Amino acid sequence: MTITAPAVSVPKRRRRLDLNASLVVGVVLTIGFLAIAIISFFWLPSNPNIPNIKARMMPPFSPNHWLGTDGLGRDIVAQLMVGARTSILVGAGGASIALVLGTITGLVAAAYGKFADEAISRGADILLSIPGMVTALVLAATMGSGAFTTILALSAFFTPSFTRVIRSAAMGVLQEDFITSAKLYGRGRLFILARHVIPNIAGVMIVQFTLYFAAGILTEAGLSYLGVGVTRPSISWGMMLNEAQQTVGISSPLAIWPGLAIVLVVLGLNLLGDGLRDVLDPKLKRRSA
Amino acid sequence: MALYALRKLVFFIGAVFVASVAIFLLIRAAGGNVAAIVLGKDATADAINALATAYGLDRPLPVQYFDWILGMLQGDLGQSFRTKEAVADLVVGRLSVSIPLALSGLLLGLIIAIPVGTYAARNVGKPSGAVLALISQIGIAIPVFWAGILLSVLFGVRLGWLPTGGWVDWSDDWVGSIRSLVLPVLSLGLIMAAVLIRYVRSAVLDVMNQDYVRTARAVGMTRTQALLQVGLRNAALPIVTIVGLQIAELIGGTVIIEMVFSLPGLSRMILANVAAREVIVVQSTVMLIIVFVIFVNFVVDLLYGILDPRIRNAA
Repeated sequence: MTITAPAVSVPKRRRRLDLNASLVVGVVLTIGFLAIAIISFFWLPSNPNIPNIKARMMPPFSPNHWLGTDGLGRDIVAQLMVGARTSILVGAGGASIALVLGTITGLVAAAYGKFADEAISRGADILLSIPGMVTALVLAATMGSGAFTTILALSAFFTPSFTRVIRSAAMGVLQEDFITSAKLYGRGRLFILARHVIPNIAGVMIVQFTLYFAAGILTEAGLSYLGVGVTRPSISWGMMLNEAQQTVGISSPLAIWPGLAIVLVVLGLNLLGDGLRDVLDPKLKRRSA
Repeated sequence: MALYALRKLVFFIGAVFVASVAIFLLIRAAGGNVAAIVLGKDATADAINALATAYGLDRPLPVQYFDWILGMLQGDLGQSFRTKEAVADLVVGRLSVSIPLALSGLLLGLIIAIPVGTYAARNVGKPSGAVLALISQIGIAIPVFWAGILLSVLFGVRLGWLPTGGWVDWSDDWVGSIRSLVLPVLSLGLIMAAVLIRYVRSAVLDVMNQDYVRTARAVGMTRTQALLQVGLRNAALPIVTIVGLQIAELIGGTVIIEMVFSLPGLSRMILANVAAREVIVVQSTVMLIIVFVIFVNFVVDLLYGILDPRIRNAA
């Protein structure tokens, strides 16, 4: 006897294909980005910080300088590669600190009673209404600019969104039956949070981290463009755009490459985050992509 | 409604207070000795002490805080260490650039995002909807200053239609002022639109599945009629909220766009004072901006209560 398989519903298949496209493109772009940053530690076309007056303003596709050189003769490819490191350091650094602080505050708000919840949630609301760019300017005014200041500013203004997201995810998990049984079994609050809640909200945490990694790269580029982000000898894509505008005018190809790099990397991370959200949290209907 | 408004007012005042303490402590804790920062590395201890005494920086921190905040409440924003100019005077002149820029940018973003987002929601699952979603994703990934650079290369350098930067004062030549603002507003508005389209799309999608839209369809309205007559008013709620949250983003974007197009707005003033280590100027100007953002969110909360009786009664 043969059993005929039920007809496959077409919309469902198409949806899954759709999701994979977002995830695949995201993964490819992100791996490419990480790989370039790693390679930059072992190999660079030339030193991105040493001027070479003889090789000033070489056009793209010149021998030894695939994308040409800038107004001081520094190789563009080398600068872009080192810039990828900065994006990772600052973007991931800011998002990581925010993840740790946001997880602690979010879990405390979710599990340690009404008063803690009210205090933390209102505090997060207030912090969320402070413009991050402006906070970063204040920090730059007092601490001086640099990668460390930028990471600090990013984590200060990312943390409240992490708190909110993690709090609401944790509250959902805390209502599940297995939490009740763990409590009845005599498990303490910390044990429950560590063993039951965190593993169940890990997906949300990863997605949130990915999306804010991207937001961090965008903000860092903006701050460095303004001249209050990272400074040489570190190199940032935003700084390269600033230098291009200051020294050779915006119409040169120098104003194209760093911007393109930012768009590809941020797009990749955002697609990765959206794709991961669908894979890790099938219950959450995707509405916003 | 009165109780709801009162609660929101208390939150507004609390938020301003917390934000002011945070800014003050951030500057004092992170910055250390303000007088030393202002005078730079080569200053002698005597000069630092003299400046600290002259500006009351040697008083206890709480005294300094209340002095600053009470001054702010009376409209005294302090003065610059070097030029002795009042911060209030510095700020007012800049607003005639920054406010039109930010508001027009937001408006343009909404004008684009509301129809496009609605269209995307109605075509979900179709190729046109997917293309719009992709365009919006790419738009979100474009840094606003790069959008500004590209637009000014195209319309300023290549086509020569509009200035690539600079500013003519409103009183000298208002047509020139508007011409200077077109590209900055366009950059800001397009990037805002990319972000807002996602929210409008998901708000409209939510509304489309509600019972009252089905009822409206059942009494004979077409899909478009139902969406426009019952749907949009309900979708307005989440959109208003998002606009409130986006105000902080909008200000960040304005700060950068002013730099791209060398507009003499608030942010150029802040940046110049950051570079000059004019701590008081930065502190007071930033506080003003934050109060403005918190105020907008307060108004948004009130609007939310007016638009939706369920919310004000639940509060």
